[in-house]
Amino acid sequence: MIIEDLSVRFGAFTAVDGVTLPIPPGSAVGLVGESGSGKSTLARAVAGLVPYTGRIEGARRVQMVFQDPYASLDPRMTVGASIGEGLRGLGRDARRREVARLLDLVALPADLAGRYPRELSGGQRQRVAIARALGARPELLIADEITSALDVSVQGAVLNLVRTLRAELGLSMLFISHNLAVVRYVCDVIAVMREGRLVETGPAEEVVAEPRHDYTRALLAAVPRLTGERG
Amino acid sequence: MAGMTRRRGAYALRRLVRFAVALGVLMVASFAMIHLIPGDPVRASLGPAAPYELVEARRAALGLDQPLPAQFLGYVGGVLTGEFGTSFLTGERVGDVIAARLPTTLTLALAATAVALLVAVPLGMWAGVRTENGRRRGTEAAFTSVTGTAVAVPEFLYSIALVAVFAIGLGWFPPAGRAGPESYVLPVVALAIGPAAMIARMCRVETLRVLGTEYVRLARAKRLPSARLYVRHVLPGTLTATLTVCGLLLTALIAGSVIVEYVFAWPGLGQRIVESITQKDYPVAQGVILVYGVIVLTVNLLIDLALGALDPTSRLKE
Amino acid sequence: MMRTPSAWIGVSLVALMVVLAVIGPPIWGEAAERIDPGAVLQGASAAHPLGTDNLGRDLLARVLVAGRLSLALALLATLAGGLAGVVLGALPSVLPRRAARLVTATVNTLVAFPGLLLAMFIAVIAGLGARGAVLGIAAAVAPGVARLTQTLAASVAGRDYVAAARLLGVPRPLILVRHVLPNIAEPLILNLAQAMGGALLGLAGMSFLGLGVQPPAYDWGRLLFDGFSRIYVTPVVALGPAVAVALAGIGFNLLGDALARAAARTRAAGAAPAGAAPAPADPGEPDPDAVLEVRDLTVAFPGGLTPVRGVSLTLRPGEIVGLVGESGSGKSLTAAAIGGLVPYPGVVRAGALRLCGRDARTMPDRELGTALAMVFQDPMASLNPALRVGGQLAEVATVHLGASRAEAARRAVDRLGHVRIPDPERRARQHPHELSGGMRQRAVIAMGLMGTPRLIVADEPTTALDVTVQRQILTLLREVTAETGAATLFISHDIAVVGELCDRVVVMYAGRVVEELPVAELAGGAAHPYTRALVASVPGMDTDRSRPLAGIPGRPPAPGGIGPGCAFAPRCPVATSRCTAERPPLAPYAPEPGASTAHKVACWEAAA
Ligand SMILES: Nc1ncnc2c1ncn2[C@@H]1O[C@H](COP(=O)(O)OP(=O)(O)OP(=O)(O)O)[C@@H](O)[C@H]1O
Ligand code: SF4
Ligand SMILES: [Mg+2]
Repeated sequence: MIIEDLSVRFGAFTAVDGVTLPIPPGSAVGLVGESGSGKSTLARAVAGLVPYTGRIEGARRVQMVFQDPYASLDPRMTVGASIGEGLRGLGRDARRREVARLLDLVALPADLAGRYPRELSGGQRQRVAIARALGARPELLIADEITSALDVSVQGAVLNLVRTLRAELGLSMLFISHNLAVVRYVCDVIAVMREGRLVETGPAEEVVAEPRHDYTRALLAAVPRLTGERG
Repeated sequence: MAGMTRRRGAYALRRLVRFAVALGVLMVASFAMIHLIPGDPVRASLGPAAPYELVEARRAALGLDQPLPAQFLGYVGGVLTGEFGTSFLTGERVGDVIAARLPTTLTLALAATAVALLVAVPLGMWAGVRTENGRRRGTEAAFTSVTGTAVAVPEFLYSIALVAVFAIGLGWFPPAGRAGPESYVLPVVALAIGPAAMIARMCRVETLRVLGTEYVRLARAKRLPSARLYVRHVLPGTLTATLTVCGLLLTALIAGSVIVEYVFAWPGLGQRIVESITQKDYPVAQGVILVYGVIVLTVNLLIDLALGALDPTSRLKE
Repeated sequence: MMRTPSAWIGVSLVALMVVLAVIGPPIWGEAAERIDPGAVLQGASAAHPLGTDNLGRDLLARVLVAGRLSLALALLATLAGGLAGVVLGALPSVLPRRAARLVTATVNTLVAFPGLLLAMFIAVIAGLGARGAVLGIAAAVAPGVARLTQTLAASVAGRDYVAAARLLGVPRPLILVRHVLPNIAEPLILNLAQAMGGALLGLAGMSFLGLGVQPPAYDWGRLLFDGFSRIYVTPVVALGPAVAVALAGIGFNLLGDALARAAARTRAAGAAPAGAAPAPADPGEPDPDAVLEVRDLTVAFPGGLTPVRGVSLTLRPGEIVGLVGESGSGKSLTAAAIGGLVPYPGVVRAGALRLCGRDARTMPDRELGTALAMVFQDPMASLNPALRVGGQLAEVATVHLGASRAEAARRAVDRLGHVRIPDPERRARQHPHELSGGMRQRAVIAMGLMGTPRLIVADEPTTALDVTVQRQILTLLREVTAETGAATLFISHDIAVVGELCDRVVVMYAGRVVEELPVAELAGGAAHPYTRALVASVPGMDTDRSRPLAGIPGRPPAPGGIGPGCAFAPRCPVATSRCTAERPPLAPYAPEPGASTAHKVACWEAAA
């Protein structure tokens, strides 16, 4: 699929300015940039949640996983009902089996289906949100800062899940994060965004190893590193 | 800076436009009031026994025999020149009634506002500071139940109780009428208690909110003396909400004054409007309701403008 | 909900009113209508405790009977107004843009009008009587409900779960029914309960003015209207209806309050006394080289919650110590305890809490206010939005150092410049919202530099900032520490940031220090399984992309539910039976004999 010349305006303010970005099938494209650079707006436009100008081709079924796992599940619906909402045209039993399968896919026990979000930890909620998105069999999965509201010890497990799902299901992904190390770990391609525009796009290792744009260099230099990591 | 001034100007302009629109709608509503009355208002007012000629004469005097648009233009023109028609009952010009009674009503309402604010703001802040973080549950319970009760009792009960105790029982104050300064005491108190309780509650909640902010935590980490902490760091944060409530309060006071005036036979607009509605004196009712409406809109406009001028963050959204 | 006496009173009063409405007319109906020409206009007597009216009817009976009509009319008005309000409030979310805006503007204007005024307006049109009054009060209730519905619905419609449902192709009306309405129902119903009290009083007021219920029907307001004309002669006749109205008003209001509080309360802890902490160990002699010396610090909350349990820390001049751990491990409370900022009802106990060798708990404000600098997480929230930046800095100097205003202002500008805020004179005159997040955090740091800080406590100072700005703030903190010779306690959940900035790292888990080590050993030489897992679960710029990250299964224990053994045992891959039974002490760790003593760990399996 490809995003072509996509722009989003809010009144006089241009949040996304003429972005062109191909997302080859089965690949994960990482989007990095500072807060306010337009990452989330771009994601919401691709998902069809905000009006935009430009073209998005070849992505009919788009699903999204949101940043805050505490806000992205309806507190009054059970986990099973939330996941089941996207499964239409299935009978009761088929739907229950499908929910169980999806829960299994994100490594959660099937009996979680009867529970409410408030009984779940942040990491579990984020898995439920992923399961809900997968239920709609998306061609493109957008993950908007899905680990930044999670505790460090849980973050790793969610990132592992994303990687396994990609490998198993051949998902295309648009993976948004402000954390370059996370993006580098998960994605094949990195796109760097600044003030609504893409300033650099390239294969992940290449962008990290030989950044071409000054801004990418500044971002890379700012990434905190454990000293003596190699030692 | 210049951008901000411009934003503020645009904000004030928007508020003014909105005020003008609301004023127009208010005119239409008060004009329509007479026409929405089922049947013939003049007949309703004069009674079934009134002679046909009298009814027709009244109708003509009111302009009710003309086509609607002409009537409306006549009404707007009249209002703009201070001409609101004449009372069915007394034949007075409604404009004169308003001119004579509006100042009395406003004095009462403003006095009550001042009293309510002077008592409630310090009280609410004090209660907030004392009960921070669920400290002193006893104080909190006493404060909330006393103010909660005070809010829940309507003006007419305060009025009656005050008359019964202080005017009839003790004879300290006159039971009715407007004479010397002592005649103000009971009506002002009756009018001020409810709003004062409301502001005190709100002030406490706001104080608690501000006390919980990170900037107060930082101010505490600086070890500022408590007087400075409360007056300089906490008070300004509660101002916006207090001012907003003041607007509500003033308009509520205007409505409350209707009842208080009625009980104390206070020669204001309120007393007159009750009379005009029960007696079906429609021109008076129409005129007075319009005046009340304009007061409400004006108070809201002033509060909005004040909020806009005060708010340093200029988060002036719609 | 029934925790407070006022809630009890509210519930009982409302229950009483409802009972009265049900049983009043059948029991006293006859007495209320019995005309007695021999007893007209009487005052209180044994036969008629509240007197009689102009037809000799017993007023007490009439008050008891009138309850039904008063409540019924109020209920009717509330339901009518509530329904109209909900519809008006929900309309904008289904109407086209223009029409929606018109509805919103109308509602916003109507909300400003006091109910009584609207009610009188309607009463003029609908005529005197119960119908006009009910319509009028309903019109007075509606705008408030509409406004509430609108704001609530708008906030729910903006939630991510609604966006998710839209993405799943759930149609708009279904979203309204399934997601929006259920999530706004509770506050709406609550509001209607409160509106009911208002409607009751409003109707009573209308009847009292003679604009509501007309004879021969009567409600409390009408009885009061009749009684009021006789108040100068027999005041008791006004007593019955007045008390009834007052009790009803108070009852509904207290009930509404109690409901609101019950809805807002997040299962608050009971009033049990703070969990008994073991007596702190002997404080010992002050360490002459330490800037900060904390021995055996415990923070407890009522209900047996002890989020910080026996933490000891020592910071030396010029040193930056990182405090890491996951959310809820007690980092912030440790910082708050050092600053004396633990909120009530938290109880702080410590064997020693010394700043430069002196007990910080008894230090005069003047000294503590200049020797201790604190920086918090959210720079947007930590400056007072109502005051100018310069003034907030300057007050430290005027209050604690006795500087004149001009001196203080000059020093504030100087300090702002010192933390490399460009054009400090201008910035000092501005309000916080005119500064960027990074600049505000610099300003907070500058505030700490107004005095002569010995200790800087920074609680997640860069978490809310972008990486590039984070980098600048970290650099600034390092410079400031070096130049002032102060010690810095840097709190973060980001182990990479800590690894980069700090000299020493203290790892907390479930309220205790589980490992303390020089930063050089963090990446490769950590001894505690938790620390190791923490390091391994964070991807770095050269993590192998083909291998899964190490994760930590499970989640941290709740501060209430920690057993006698190692708190990490349920998640620990190398736990033994000893671990669940006995808590490992924090002991020096030396893999090879003769290694530095700076490394300490609390783990049975780590002991070399
Ligand atoms: N005022 C309070 N009353 C009761 N419990 C509290 C209070 N403040 C904090 N706690 C509890 O104390 C524990 C430690 O909280 P603390 O804020 O110190 O954690 P933290 O390590 O700073 O976490 P984070 O990384 O999320 O900032 C938490 O379980 C919290 O729920
Ligand atoms: S003491 Fe036991 S449970 Fe605790 S960290 Fe060490 S090995 Fe794991
Ligand atoms: Mg914290």
